[in-house]
Order: sequence, then structure tokens, then C-alpha cells
Amino acid sequence: MKTSKAYMIYIYTVLIIMLIITIFPLIYTVASSFKTNSEIMAHPDRIFPREFTFDNYIAAYNSGDFNILRMLWNSTLYTLICVAITLITSSMGGYVFARGEFPGKKLVFAVFSSLMFIALGSITVYPMFEILNFIGVSRSLWGLILVKIFGISIINIYLVRSYVRTLPASMDEAAQLDGCSFIGIFFKIIAPLLKPILATIGILAFQQSWNDYLLPTIFTLTTPSQRTLIVGVVALKTSGEAASSWNLMLAGTTVALVPVLVAYTIGNKYFISGLMGGAIKG
Amino acid sequence: MKIQSKAISCKPFIHSKKRSNTLQCYLMLSTQIIGFLVLTVYPICWAAKFSWFYYDGAICNTRFVGWENFIKIFTEDAMYWKTWLTTLQFALVKLPIELPLAMYLAVLLNKKLKGKGFFRAVFYLPNIISIAIVGLIFSNIFDYFGVINSLLVKFHIVKQEVDWFINKGTAMAVLVCGSIWCSFGINILYFLAALKNVPEELYDCAYLDGASKRTIFFKITLPMMAPVMQTIILLSVNGTLQINEYILVMTNGAPGGKTFTVMSYLVSKFVPGFAQTSVNIGYGCALSLVTSALMALIAFAYMKLSKKLSEIY
Repeated sequence: MKTSKAYMIYIYTVLIIMLIITIFPLIYTVASSFKTNSEIMAHPDRIFPREFTFDNYIAAYNSGDFNILRMLWNSTLYTLICVAITLITSSMGGYVFARGEFPGKKLVFAVFSSLMFIALGSITVYPMFEILNFIGVSRSLWGLILVKIFGISIINIYLVRSYVRTLPASMDEAAQLDGCSFIGIFFKIIAPLLKPILATIGILAFQQSWNDYLLPTIFTLTTPSQRTLIVGVVALKTSGEAASSWNLMLAGTTVALVPVLVAYTIGNKYFISGLMGGAIKG
Repeated sequence: MKIQSKAISCKPFIHSKKRSNTLQCYLMLSTQIIGFLVLTVYPICWAAKFSWFYYDGAICNTRFVGWENFIKIFTEDAMYWKTWLTTLQFALVKLPIELPLAMYLAVLLNKKLKGKGFFRAVFYLPNIISIAIVGLIFSNIFDYFGVINSLLVKFHIVKQEVDWFINKGTAMAVLVCGSIWCSFGINILYFLAALKNVPEELYDCAYLDGASKRTIFFKITLPMMAPVMQTIILLSVNGTLQINEYILVMTNGAPGGKTFTVMSYLVSKFVPGFAQTSVNIGYGCALSLVTSALMALIAFAYMKLSKKLSEIY
């Protein structure tokens, strides 16, 4: 089918308008974070700052309540640990469900899969706190990390499982004949081959845990020094002084956006392949 | 004789090997199985138990109340059912705009274009941003002293700044805008994947037969995509029903709790940090159970009703 020139112009016009609508809120937010506080208040219609300044970042750095470095560090630590946990548990889970033969395999897999459909919502934080209390872990970011260690990410397990299935089984068999154990095969043979799929899972896990809001808010309620960046930035809005702290909020928002935007620019093929793998193969 | 004895001695060896394999499999799954029992099964049982109790965190006040919590949901709690209504309104406004828009953009992007990948990547971009941050960004640009108002006034579209969050209609409109902004990209990707499955020859045949673009779209593209559409719509409906943090951050129910969706209402009412300090958690458990049952029912009903979609081709 041929497309006429006029039609092509029309298509590009539509796409470019949508493009502008899509990036406008982001550009506006990032650009505003470099405005002076008075320009933010008085000239919201200027998209780019007339006077380019780092004042908001300096204010955020010096602010006692909004300790941006501390929060940045908490976010980084939380995200890195969550990514590591996700990579380890989902690769082992995917491997076991792809190659393992053990009684109850089908049952366990079916039960894990049905998890996707059970969502009791946030009320479950009460029993979680009860369990954490019981084992003597305080309600903190560390408590949340402990919860994450025992979490199940069924979509990631699906991704690894279908990837392991594409690897030739003859390798495992050879290793098995040489006396390698089931776990040994995973660490010596399978795990090094999982790099491409782990890149996808890792980058998705990075984005998810960096962006996490609800649970970190609940878990760091009594320990504000452990707030992650997203939690802290949103807290500025709900603390009631929203109008006076838009400058801090904009700077914080920009700092919170940058890592995810960088990750997306570098690895957007991984984002999309992970999404498609999860949606279609899953 | 020798051979026989060897065969016999082999058997326990295989047996123990199998047992050790099973053990290793369960060892590798151990954190997830423990997590499942402790963090999924136990909380569900806990909620099921306390839905029969009055429980506000203090042991001494805890008492068994039987069906009372559930009866209260269906007879007294009008607020809760209003949040359901809001959720459905939200879905009914959002999805009919978002899905055709995403479908249209996907059809455009499916043509031979330069910069196709770039457009696709940018449209998907809002999806990777924290939903809480999206709430902040949109409450900033739709602020009374925000950029949208000042542009509207500047171009004489409205005479005076609009206070978007003062009545339910405009507040919902802003919420829907932000929500569409956030998720239309993912649907474009889904639709693009679905369009790839339509064989090229079908288009060529129809084109040779003199079918117009519109006819081709409605008679070929759409029906061929129907089975995937069923899944895409299910995912969108589910995503919209589960909307939660976004509302909490952006309006926190303003004005007067009218923009709460079900999930955000439950959080604002019963979760520490959002709710008042002393609430009847038992009642919250009952509400959560009823909510998840209704959610499951909606998904189930949708699958039943939309079965035709998956059988078109």
C-alpha cells in the first residue's frame, strides 16, 4: 500500500503533537526546578527559566527536614538490594521450574501463579507488622527489605523459565554425568548464560523499587531518617506547606526522575522486551 | 550373577539422587515458599479472622462481633459504595478515550515511518515514572497558580483561573488526564504487537479489491486483533480499578473525599500513616475481603462476557 505525501504529513503532525503533550509535563517540571522561587510563583507560564539557578538544589541540600542526600542514599541502597534480591530469587525460581523434577512442582507453580490474582490490598501490612514484631525486626526500611527477600515475582519467574527452556538441555546432562549437582549446574552453567534476561529483569526491578511509594511510606513512618527519595518528596506535599515548598518539591522530583530516565535511555529495549515477554509469553 | 548384583546396587543410587534433586529444588525455592506461607497465606487468614472482630490495635478492646462488620458494609457504609461508583466512573471516562487513542497511534506507528522507534520510546516514557511522582507533576501543572491555568488565561480560553480541585467534575477530569498520560504508551506497545500478527497479504487483497482505508480497518484489522484486545482491555480495566497511590498523592480525595477510588479509600481509611490512629481494623479487613471478591467478580464477568472477542478469528 502506498501512502500519499499529504497523508504522511498528517501522520507526522499527529505524532508530533502527541509527542509534545507527552514530554511537556516532564520538560516543564525539570525546567522549573532551575527557576528562582519567585519565578516559580509569579510566572508559571514561562516554560524555561529566565534566570537559570541552582538555588532550589542548594536549598534542598541545606534543608533540615528535607535531607536530600540522605534520602538519595536510602533510595539507592533500597533499590540496589531489591534488584539483587530479585535477580537471585527469580533466576533460581525460573531455573527450578524449567529444569527441576520434583514432586509438587506443578502444584507449587500453580499456587505461585494464582498469586497474581489474589490482592487483598494494603490491609495486609498489619499482619506483616505482627510477623516482623514476632521475629524482633523493627518497622523500618530494613523490615521492608526483609519482606522483599521473601517476596515472589511470578512474572520474572516466567521470564527466566521460558529463557532457560531455550537453552540446550544437553549441557546440563553432560555436567550431571560429570557429577555436578542440581544446584551446581545452576551456578556453573545456567547462571552465566542468563545475562540477557537478567539485564531485562534487573532494569525493571530497578525502576520498580526506585519508584516504590506506598510500602516504603508505611514502613518508614516511625523512622523518617530512612525515607526514600520518592517518599520524602511526596511527604512535602502532604505535610501541608505545599505552596511554600514547590521549589524543593520540583528539585526533589527532578532528582528522583533522573536515574529512571537515564536507565530508560540506556536500556529502553530491555524495558520493552521485558514488558512484551511478560505480557505475551506469560 | 555379577551383572544382577550391579543392577540392584544401582537402584538405591538413582533413588537417592532423585531425593537429593528434590531437596535441592525445594532449597532453591525455600525463600519463596516461606514467603508465600508467611506473607501471603497468613495475612489472608489473619484478615479473614479479624473481619469477624472489632479490633482497633488494642487487645483489650478486641471482641467478637459476628456478621456485624459485613452487615455494616451493605447497610450503612454509603461512602464505601460511592468510592466504587467513582472508580467505575473513572474507568468509564478513561478507557473509552485511552484505548481508541492508543489504537489510533499504534495504527499510525505501524506504517513505514522514519523515527518510529523514537516515537514509540517517548510515548512509553511516562509509564516508567513513579506513579506518586506523576501525581506530584500533575498537581503542580494543574495548580491554581500553575502553568495550565496561566496558559488558559493568557490565550483567553477562560476568563479567570480555574480551581480544578474544588469540585468533583473538574478534579476527575484532571485525574483522568494524568492517568491517560501515564498509561497510553503501554497500550500502544500492546496494540503494535497485536498489529504485527495481522498478515500483510490480507491488507494487500483488500486493497486490490478496492476497499477503503476505513473498511480495511474495521473489517480486517479490528477483527484480527479482537483476541488480543480481550487481554488488553482486561489489563486496562484491572489497572484502572487498582488505582491507588496516584489518587492519594494528587487529590487525597479532594474535594471532601469525592475523588477516592476504592483502593485509595481503603488506604486512606485503614493504613497507618494515612488513616487516623484508632480505626476498626476488623472492619477494614471485612471491607478488603468484600473489595477483592468484587474485583475478582468483575474480572470473571468480563472474561465471560468478552468470550466472543477471542472467538472472532
